[in-house]
Amino acid sequence: MFSSDEVSALVLDIGTSTLRAGYAGDDTPKAIIPTCYGYTTVDGDVDVPMSEEGEGENAPPKPAKKINMFVGNSGPSVWRRNMEVAYPVKNSLIEDFAPIPALISHAFRDIMRCNPAEHPVLVTEPAWNTATNRERMAEILFEEFDVPAFYIANTGVLNALTLGDEVSQQEREWMALYCAKLVEANAQHILTNPGPNRPGIQLLPHQLIASKQTVDVGTPPRFTLRDDRATGTTDTWRTWYESREVEDWVQSVGGVLDQGWNEQAAVTRGARHYEFPTGYNYYFGPERFGIGEQFFTHSASLAAKNQNLPMPLPSLISQSLAACDQDLRQVLVGNVVLTGGGSLFSGLSDRLASELQRNFPHVKIHAPGNPTERRYGAWLGGSILGSLGTFHQLWISKEEWQEHGRAIVGQRCK
Amino acid sequence: MAGPSASDVRAALSISNAGPSSSTHPTNAAAIIRKPSLRKPEGMPRELYQLIGPSAPTLTAQFAKPQLKQKPNLGSSAATVDGGVPGRVKWEWRTFTNSARKDGLKLGHWVKAGADPNADYQYAKYNVPLNTFVYSAEEYNRFLQDKEWTKEETDYLFELVREYDGRFYVVGDRYDYPGGSTRSLEDLKDRYYSVCRKLVRNKPWGGDEASKAQLLSSYSFDKEREVTRRRYVASLESRTPQQIAEEEALYVELKRLEQTERRFKKDRDELLRTLLGIESGLPDINPSDEDGLNAAGNLSISVNGVGGLSIDTKRRKKNGGDVDTPMSATSASASAIHISQPPKKQQTAKSIAYDLVNCIVRTDVPTNAGSNKSAHTPAYLRSFKLPTPKAAIAPKIAQLMAELQISHTRLVMPTRANSAKLEELLEAASQLIEQKKLLDKADMDIRMAKARLGNGTSESGEGSAGGGEGKATPGAMEVDEDAEGEHDEHADPNGRGQSVVSARSARGRKPARRSMSISSVDTAGAGNKKRKR
Repeated sequence: MFSSDEVSALVLDIGTSTLRAGYAGDDTPKAIIPTCYGYTTVDGDVDVPMSEEGEGENAPPKPAKKINMFVGNSGPSVWRRNMEVAYPVKNSLIEDFAPIPALISHAFRDIMRCNPAEHPVLVTEPAWNTATNRERMAEILFEEFDVPAFYIANTGVLNALTLGDEVSQQEREWMALYCAKLVEANAQHILTNPGPNRPGIQLLPHQLIASKQTVDVGTPPRFTLRDDRATGTTDTWRTWYESREVEDWVQSVGGVLDQGWNEQAAVTRGARHYEFPTGYNYYFGPERFGIGEQFFTHSASLAAKNQNLPMPLPSLISQSLAACDQDLRQVLVGNVVLTGGGSLFSGLSDRLASELQRNFPHVKIHAPGNPTERRYGAWLGGSILGSLGTFHQLWISKEEWQEHGRAIVGQRCK
Repeated sequence: MAGPSASDVRAALSISNAGPSSSTHPTNAAAIIRKPSLRKPEGMPRELYQLIGPSAPTLTAQFAKPQLKQKPNLGSSAATVDGGVPGRVKWEWRTFTNSARKDGLKLGHWVKAGADPNADYQYAKYNVPLNTFVYSAEEYNRFLQDKEWTKEETDYLFELVREYDGRFYVVGDRYDYPGGSTRSLEDLKDRYYSVCRKLVRNKPWGGDEASKAQLLSSYSFDKEREVTRRRYVASLESRTPQQIAEEEALYVELKRLEQTERRFKKDRDELLRTLLGIESGLPDINPSDEDGLNAAGNLSISVNGVGGLSIDTKRRKKNGGDVDTPMSATSASASAIHISQPPKKQQTAKSIAYDLVNCIVRTDVPTNAGSNKSAHTPAYLRSFKLPTPKAAIAPKIAQLMAELQISHTRLVMPTRANSAKLEELLEAASQLIEQKKLLDKADMDIRMAKARLGNGTSESGEGSAGGGEGKATPGAMEVDEDAEGEHDEHADPNGRGQSVVSARSARGRKPARRSMSISSVDTAGAGNKKRKR
């Protein structure tokens, strides 16, 4: 059905946490870098003292201050004096375009070592992307990177392409998972800090700890902080590192029971060991399954505290189904696709299946078994699309961009 | 391998080599023939071959080297065109333009070096736009006016349909005509298809009528039906869990009722079969003996041409009580099944004539017979019903019949009359023998008494038996049409046409029998008076 004709296109998938870039036709992206970036602001008269960092990119200067930007895998994660961390992408939507060229350039030029002016570029976008956003993206690529051709494709469609499904309007199903990522982030903080029978855990990054000693399970950690870094650490960097630590903990320990919350079942699943950078370690028992419940039910206290809490997954899905045409619902229910790195949460697909089964007897959940496919589903779909022989007529060429301007993006990529 | 040469042929046919071209001796020619088979197979040691000779051909396979698959000669032809080394493929990076694009975007891809550089882009042919209708302003004014739609909005709709390749779900989603009223998906489809239909109907048509009609039907759209269907789908989806549960419970209940009904019906059929046999009118009854009889009857009719055999299919009216008791206990649904008598056939002049010609005898249906087991008489051959003599006197009767040269067990032509005659004869014979026995006994007594009295001899009555036999003989043997007719009349004075299932002919039998099945009883007897249980 699909036959490929590779024109060495590049595929760029900018997600909330990572940016993926690679050649169309490959099965994994070549460059995977965090979307967030670190920056330091220095006074205008000091002339780029930080440029010794290889990945440092100079952003366009602003009137009063000079901003040094640190992107890439050793960008935000490395401790630098007074470095702040910022997130340009929120809810999969690019909100701050200033660091985007630097990120793209880092991925293409520094990691992939290719010249984007020689390759057509396919960019992904969420279903709820705005027209101005996609036009801005086209502008960046055409004007700053001088790409010969450009296309922006919907992540939902691309995920479906990865699965070989061709269900139209499937995109509505995906909103659910992207929103759910936020639930996760919210819930983890609440659950990790106060412990039922353990002290609150200090989430300190490795880079702030000078030395630590091995301690027994559950006993308070013994460590010394680095004094030299005590002053230069910014709050945003701390927050970023803490959330990363929580994420790591969730990924290695967290889970969800497949048939709803049940204390006995959670106990029988056994405890799991985790050690924090401070040296504190603990066997996490049933509480590790409480985290996943946040996807499906909200505790009353949490709902009271946060008015804008996203809906639990099953109701999100049924609501997005209700927004679709009646005739399509049956097809959509039979093709629910679970994608994105967040969906790799242990036990999520089983639980979701059992939850949905109650409301929709014919539900079928497609979840690629391969974690790579699940994490980079959208990028993979872009890789497939960008290497299709029949796709090449859809590129927006530079010629067309110059002729029609921004309007061509909305006309062509629909 | 070369074909056989001329000398080979000559050698094979033992012709001497007379030809001028051939110089070889016949024996040499023979040696040539044998030569190929004597060649040592590849891989076999020479010493071994000399030992075993060509007699073990299977051994050679083991010595032969394994044949590896030939390496594919990829693209050698392309390479040779290019002047390159055969067996090596040359690829080159080439820019190309896509004819499906309107601009001159040049993209690059790897192609085989030998490929035609001027060829059209191979994927351009898949750019197939949807075949949509176009209409001019004049056509619109003439055919397509609609008070709900302006021409601009219709244009907009057609533009959208073309843009999204006729995917109406997407069209309905994106449809946003500035200043227009909100349109449902059905509105859009209805407008689009009605415009298409009008255009097909009114535009000059190049093809034949059939293809036009087909095209028209492909554009048919019933808005009302579609709306109703959607409403129905929506109502199906908006059921509450309680409703669904109730529905499921009802469904299970229905299934259960159906099952009980089926079981009762089965029991009832079983009962009917036991009580009434074939007359119960149930299908697949008594597969072996009665069917065999019927077949024999039909055969006999067709062979003899004289329908002397009427198949007795007396249908007894069921005694309602004992059959119905199990049913009356069942649910109401079971009461839908009731077996009633097929209607009496109206006796017409035509059917009487037909019966006469075909020698059909119709027997009366006894209406008041009890439906006990002994009352049931399945169909039988008349000749089978001939009375058998009592066992005590059977040999004597057989002897008597043998004297008369009549086989009483099997009639050559067992017509109704003949059977009756034979029956009479047998009766007479047995009576005669009974009389004779009595006489003998009396004689014996007399003799005994006389002996006691010391008197002389007495006369015997043996001679008188012969006369009766002699009288009966000619009657039994003759085949008399008139007599037969009389017997018919006598046998059923008022029963013609009243038999439920009569063997009118071999062909007519089947439908008659089918009409007895339960399901068709009601319909078959719609206009006629039925006998109620």
